[in-house]
Amino acid sequence: MKKFIYPFAALALMIASAFTVIKSQDWKIADNYSIKFDGGDPAGEFKGLKGTVSFDPAALATSKFDVSVDVASINTGNGMKNTHAKSDAWFDATKYPTISFTSTAITKTPTGYLATGSFTMHGVTKPIAIPFTFANNTFTGSFEVNRMDYNIAAGEPNHGAQKFKVDVNVPVTK
Amino acid sequence: MFKRVFFHGLVAGVLAAIAAIIYNRIYFFATEADFSKILNIPSMIGLSLVICMIATFVNYGLVKWLRQKGEIVFNFLFSIISFACVMFPISISLPLDIKMPELFPGLAVPMVFFPVIAWLTIKPLFQAKEH
Repeated sequence: MKKFIYPFAALALMIASAFTVIKSQDWKIADNYSIKFDGGDPAGEFKGLKGTVSFDPAALATSKFDVSVDVASINTGNGMKNTHAKSDAWFDATKYPTISFTSTAITKTPTGYLATGSFTMHGVTKPIAIPFTFANNTFTGSFEVNRMDYNIAAGEPNHGAQKFKVDVNVPVTK
Repeated sequence: MFKRVFFHGLVAGVLAAIAAIIYNRIYFFATEADFSKILNIPSMIGLSLVICMIATFVNYGLVKWLRQKGEIVFNFLFSIISFACVMFPISISLPLDIKMPELFPGLAVPMVFFPVIAWLTIKPLFQAKEH
C-alpha cells in the first residue's frame, strides 16, 4: 500500500496545480469607475463599489463577479432626493446598506459576455443577466432594473420611475 | 421716468451681485462646498443684473398702467415671485461630479431674495429724486 502513497501524492499535486493554472485573473477595481442609473427622473449614480472581480476571457468557467455598492453613496445631484432615496421610503440604507451582484456563470455572446447571477437590493434577491464587454481593461455593461421587483416604494408605483437603466463602466488593474 | 427706474434697477442689480459674491465666499469658507460650476462670479453678476433689469421693465409698465397702485402691485409681485423661486434651487439636480448637493439650497436660496431686498432697500433714494 505504501508504494501508492507517492504516486497518489504526485497525482494530487498535479491536479491541484492544474487548478492554479486555469484560475481566472483577479482584478482590482480602479477609482474612476461609474455606476449610473437613469429612470428619467430621478437619475444619478452610486459609489462605494467593492468586491472581487475574477475574470479571464480564456477561462470563463472559473471567472466570477462578487461585487457590491454602498446604498448611502447614492447621488442624484439633489440633496433632497438623496435623503429621500436613502430613507425607509425607498432604499432604507440603514437596514439594507448594500446592493450586490454575485455571478453564477459567465458565458460568451456574439457581442461580448453575459454574466448571470443573483442581484440583491432592498433585501430581495432575484436572478439577473447582465450583458457586458471587456476591452482595454474596462468592463462596460448595461441592464435594466424594475424597483417594483425589489419592493422599493412598491406602494407608490407612480412616484418616480419604476424601470431604471443601469450603466456600469468599471476600469480595472492587475 | 424710465431713466430713474433704469438706474434704480441697475444699482439694485449691482448691490444684489455684490451681496451674492460676498455670501458665496462666506458660504464656501463655512462649508468648503464648491458650487463654482453652477454659481460663479460672472453668473451671479449676470443673474442679478438680468433679474433687476426685468424688474425695471415690469415696474415701469405697471406704474404706467396702474399709476399709484402700480408700485404696490409691483412690490407684491416681486416678493411673491422671489419667494416662489425658492423652489428652483431646492428642486434642481446638479451635475453628478458636484459634491455635497444637499448644501446647494443653503447657498442659493438666500441669493434668490437678494435682488428684491436690494430693490426695496434703495427704493427711497430713487423716490426722493422724483419729488
